[in-house]
Amino acid sequence: MKAVVKNGIAVFSPQGFLDGNNTNSFLGIEDIEAAKKLKADMILVSLKKVVFFNRNGLDTFIKLFLNIRKKNHATVGFCDYDNKKYMAIKRFYQDDVNFSLFKSLDIAYLFSSSFKNQNKNVLVFSHDRSQRSAIAIELHDNGHNPVIAQSEEEYNEKKENKDAYDYIIDSTFLGQMGQKVATRVTGNAIIYTISSFLDVEISEQFNIEYHNNSLNVGFRLFIFDAYKVISMNVHALNFFSKLASSAAEYNASICFVGMKFNKTPKSFKETLEDAGILFYKQMDDILQNKELLKELGASSASNIKNKRALNKETVIELPNFIDATVVTIEMMTNSKAIKEAAEVHKLVIDNKEGKIASSIGYYGDIDGMVILVFPSGIAKKACELLIGENTDDTELILDTLAELVNIVGGKIKTLLSDKLINVDITLPRTYQDVDSLLEVVENRKGVQVDLSFDNDKFLFFLTR
Amino acid sequence: MITKDKIDNFIEKIPPSPEVLRETLALLNIGELTKAAKVAEGDLALKSYLKNIVNKPIYGFKNEVSDISQIFGILGVSLSQQTVYNYMITLLSPKKWLLFKLNSKLFYELQAQLSKKWEIILKHLHIEDKNIYGAISLLPASVIVTEALFCEKIDDVNLLRTTKDLDYNTILNRLCGVGLFDICEQIADKWEMDKIVGQIIQAASGIKPSPVENIDQLGKWMHLLLFYELSQPLFIEAGLNNFIDFQIDYIGDVYDEFASVMDIG
Repeated sequence: MKAVVKNGIAVFSPQGFLDGNNTNSFLGIEDIEAAKKLKADMILVSLKKVVFFNRNGLDTFIKLFLNIRKKNHATVGFCDYDNKKYMAIKRFYQDDVNFSLFKSLDIAYLFSSSFKNQNKNVLVFSHDRSQRSAIAIELHDNGHNPVIAQSEEEYNEKKENKDAYDYIIDSTFLGQMGQKVATRVTGNAIIYTISSFLDVEISEQFNIEYHNNSLNVGFRLFIFDAYKVISMNVHALNFFSKLASSAAEYNASICFVGMKFNKTPKSFKETLEDAGILFYKQMDDILQNKELLKELGASSASNIKNKRALNKETVIELPNFIDATVVTIEMMTNSKAIKEAAEVHKLVIDNKEGKIASSIGYYGDIDGMVILVFPSGIAKKACELLIGENTDDTELILDTLAELVNIVGGKIKTLLSDKLINVDITLPRTYQDVDSLLEVVENRKGVQVDLSFDNDKFLFFLTR
Repeated sequence: MITKDKIDNFIEKIPPSPEVLRETLALLNIGELTKAAKVAEGDLALKSYLKNIVNKPIYGFKNEVSDISQIFGILGVSLSQQTVYNYMITLLSPKKWLLFKLNSKLFYELQAQLSKKWEIILKHLHIEDKNIYGAISLLPASVIVTEALFCEKIDDVNLLRTTKDLDYNTILNRLCGVGLFDICEQIADKWEMDKIVGQIIQAASGIKPSPVENIDQLGKWMHLLLFYELSQPLFIEAGLNNFIDFQIDYIGDVYDEFASVMDIG
């Protein structure tokens, strides 16, 4: 069984009955190896379609997952259960729960550092006081606004006011959480929260794919919230120095906020400053200073001084990129996709009104970014297979468009690997209007191809 | 990916039920077990299948049973008819399975497990209607139809499923407006199975509840039985566990009784 990965969470969805005899069959050696390679923040088993389970069944999953966790520091556990299943799990394990429990997958997303949809108001309740605090701290580190109900009465009272909260969390338990670096987005800056002792593990805990993706899609200001850092060693120093060097290629700024050097050699600060890292005492010193924000590159999502031109390697592989898009659209719509015209220039979008877009980056032997621009209604049609219902919910359509471009990215990866060109794909990004897309790709040259299916036109743009 | 034309083409290619089978079923239908056995003897493949299936451990016979009249005699009318239907379904199965890690032996095992447990359920429910006994035979046809329609699209489906957890029935429904169980019902029609067989199968999909209460109840039992079987290690490893969506809410009111009948827990 393969995991479905979304928003940094890999989910296995077994169906029916789970016991000690069959759990190993759900996850073969190949599946475990594939899961180890996933750069997921969490690896969860959905119990949504499980009608019966016993402790042996869950134990086998947990053993397999703890093994994966050793390798990639992901949070592991279960999600999508009702109260009866939650009570059963708590009864099986009593006080010995070393995994996490998320009532629903949507709740789990709130704790994923790859979840873009942040700044949510979340009501939190747990009978366990330490859990209430742990949940609130994690949510806060991930850029949400938790409100803790201190008692069941207060919780029942507060949850009546449904409009006040985007999410309500109960029957959720944070076991050993992943040690991934928490990430949140504020305006055009990305904030990473680091804490404790920083050593060689930082390279495993830091989601470099997400960081590269953010650079590729135009983010230029990265802030490390380092208030809770106690010290760092030379391995962490090297890691941050390298990160600063790679950021310099994109003209991006990396800042540390709140870092104290009581237990870290002062010379480390000088080394980091030499590498280009800036230090500030407080977060507001940056976020409240518009001039500084502009200087650091956060006034616009795009501020590349050294724009990279399309190169020969990319142009040679252009048919593969177009094929991947055409094949995916044909698969999703059961209709013939047609290439109409191709030209090299800056992205030109005639009528911006009502258009949405999605992009995905790739890097490795070659690198670049594929962008698809659709009129909203046609995006909905192209995503019909994934959406499955008639909807005008823009968030859902954008979310599904991200899934579609992710499939295109997967296809690109396959087509290129057939030619022994190895690339990885970044997380997809969506744009609910064309202006926010143009901010990112403004002045970049690329190949623009007009495509259509069922006479519905959309646009493909390949750039670097 | 899959078009309506491809589905129509698949249905068109389903051969009519062979004369020997039709005659055997007609005789079983009027309770003429001996005459039915004589006719069945004329079809060597059927004879071999019957021997193979009833000598599986789940049927619990101490000594090997090889004579067709003996087999029909032991099974009785309802189970004989059910077993002949099972054989008819195998006529549709591919020589080589590509999408699922199945072979004929494992497919027969699935049929045998479903049939025997369906019998236990129907006895528990005090149902004796032979058409209802036979209905279970059509259920594995959904696996065959999936294999036939999707075996050339394995890469596409795998790619799609890395992004979204869609089952084959949903993919087919969204692309063509036809579900796997609609196709199974058409197979039942083509082979002149009783109408109730198709109706139970549709309810057993878990997504098309029957307005007729007793058919809907049977659909729930069958849906749950299917996932009980698809949770067995052999069938999970064959890739069958998530070929269609388990509708856990649909079976909620029969689960406790099912667990008691199957001795689960």
